[in-house]
Amino acid sequence: MVLSNEQYQALAQELDGLKQQVQAQLGEADARYIRRVLLVQRISAISGRILLVLGFITPWLWGLGVLLLALGKILDNMEIGHNVLHGQYDWMNDPLLHSRRYEWDIACEAGSWQRTHNVEHHSYTNIIGLDRDFGYGLLRLSNDFRWRLRNLWQSGTYLLLSMLFQWGVSYHELAGQRVFFGKKKANRQTQVSDSELKKAFFGKGVRQLVKDYLFFPLIAGPMWLWVLCGNLLANLIRNVWTSTVIFCGHFTKQVYAFKPEDCENESRGHWYYRQMLGSSNFTGPTWLHILTGHLSCQIEHHLFPDIPARHYPNMAKQVQAIAAKYGTPYNTGSFLRQYSTVFWRIMRYSLPGGKSAVKAL
Amino acid sequence: MPGQFRGQLAEKSWQTADMVKLTLRVSRRWPGFIPGQHVLLTLEHNGKNLPRPFSICSPLSLWHSQRQIELCCKVQHNGAVTPLLAQLTAGSRVNISAAQGAFSWQQPARPALFVAAGSGITPIASMLLSQRHWLTPVSLYYRVRGKEQAALLAPLQQLAAQQPLFSLQLSDSRFEHSDAFTRQVCTEGQNKQLYLCGPQALMQQLNAALVQSGVAKHNIFQEQFGPALLAQSTDSISGQYQVALQSSTSQQVFSAQANQSLLQSAEQQGLNPRFGCRIGVCFQCVCDKISGQVRDIRSGALSGHGSEQIQLCISQPVTDLVLKQ
Repeated sequence: MVLSNEQYQALAQELDGLKQQVQAQLGEADARYIRRVLLVQRISAISGRILLVLGFITPWLWGLGVLLLALGKILDNMEIGHNVLHGQYDWMNDPLLHSRRYEWDIACEAGSWQRTHNVEHHSYTNIIGLDRDFGYGLLRLSNDFRWRLRNLWQSGTYLLLSMLFQWGVSYHELAGQRVFFGKKKANRQTQVSDSELKKAFFGKGVRQLVKDYLFFPLIAGPMWLWVLCGNLLANLIRNVWTSTVIFCGHFTKQVYAFKPEDCENESRGHWYYRQMLGSSNFTGPTWLHILTGHLSCQIEHHLFPDIPARHYPNMAKQVQAIAAKYGTPYNTGSFLRQYSTVFWRIMRYSLPGGKSAVKAL
Repeated sequence: MPGQFRGQLAEKSWQTADMVKLTLRVSRRWPGFIPGQHVLLTLEHNGKNLPRPFSICSPLSLWHSQRQIELCCKVQHNGAVTPLLAQLTAGSRVNISAAQGAFSWQQPARPALFVAAGSGITPIASMLLSQRHWLTPVSLYYRVRGKEQAALLAPLQQLAAQQPLFSLQLSDSRFEHSDAFTRQVCTEGQNKQLYLCGPQALMQQLNAALVQSGVAKHNIFQEQFGPALLAQSTDSISGQYQVALQSSTSQQVFSAQANQSLLQSAEQQGLNPRFGCRIGVCFQCVCDKISGQVRDIRSGALSGHGSEQIQLCISQPVTDLVLKQ
């Protein structure tokens, strides 16, 4: 154990205090902010789709359309969707921005994502065997996993996963429940039946495919191919961006993983401690934070997943001070530096051996 | 917004010192109303949407001819929401729900006695002012604290002057004791349909007296007004229960005070379940109760132990609970 029980308790108290302090400030400014992001998202998505069709005037317009549509999708998925679905804006009591109602422009159905992400990933962050987000069952990211032949080409697997990220996210729950392949786990807990999972997966997936690759190309008439390719490219940009941001949040060089037996009956302070060690931040200007849905402050997000994300950069200063006080590592750096360590990790562990990421608690 | 319709404030006028009448121009998509119904008017305060129910007080003709409705709202100056009404100005945009509620004039061909007290006049005024074909004598007893506290008095007096079958009688609560008023309603109410709307204490008194005097229960129609939460004395109830609030994605546990609504307890502990009117009319906060027992704050009635739907805002825990939202 690294901290004493009293220290864990004090840590929890300090972080709870910080949370309450921010919670008390929530109000009109937050409501105005998220609605403005929503407005920008809609303007960019709509104007992007219009510009795709105007590509016949000059292809530059088409190019701009792709970028705007990608921006719309990124804002929808990251700063709006991800954060709304975490319940960050439930206090507004606005049906449009409530975690139970929101549905986003991505292949993964909101409910399925909430189960795998909010429940599994956020409760058991980086616990080997419990948090499947550590490598997504595809990549070997530390020596805590046995090396297999397929890990040899996992940089290619990573590239594919990045490009098809929305489908990876969408299939994540079905993979975990072994709906199509693999042996069902003996102690499997099912909240949702396999048929419901399939219905959500295919229902939402088909809706997205029809929207981007059938409906919009069809109404574009002779420009159908431009629109189809534009949508494909916008989705690709969004996929690669979201996957890059998320990989930077948990798979950087100095990130830690944990053993399930170390986390049984853990206290709140212990949980906080684990969240700080299992996540990493990267720095950048405000616009970069917004494009990542403030997941650039992954540590703060993991400590306070239901606080509106725009507060994370300010909270980060205080969290960093608290971390220093308890001698807890606080993993941050520039975007490029953090990403290069992620890429190195993927490359390194495609070969056998290496170090364990587990921190004994 | 889902379930919401846009309205724009055309005019605001003070009926009395604390009753404000809002004339709203309502979106074409709004499906209309039956006189006696209410809408949820959503106001935003400090980033938070706060819906509250208000009865429509205007006649159907105003909606048909000008797409306008009027709401007569009592401003509780120490309340959380109604003071915001005073800040609205002509041109302000508001959101309203579709009309809801079952309080309406059932059989206009039968003799009827309407009893309104205070702001309870609003749905009744809409019913009476909407009536075009008068078939039978109808009277309205309107109980207020002095004439200057009587909202919507002018149009009702005008109706009484024009329509011989309609009579209006004011009862001043400063001079006429509620027992005397109740006796008079009981005498007049025999063999009539009764429509009651006003503060809960008076409604309960009238209801009990009417039933005792031999008026059949199915001839009494009433709308409860004002915050029902205050009506039930909850001082004597105490204790604390564990409530597990499940959703398809998570389970949260909070401890609920026996003398508070589940909604209040949940919010005090940082949970944000969806809510609406907070007085049990709009069904936004409905949950499936899987197990446990609750008390209805309005009536004091106890629920069963099994699975059923409850509203968080008007339910107090009687045992530990498992809820699903």
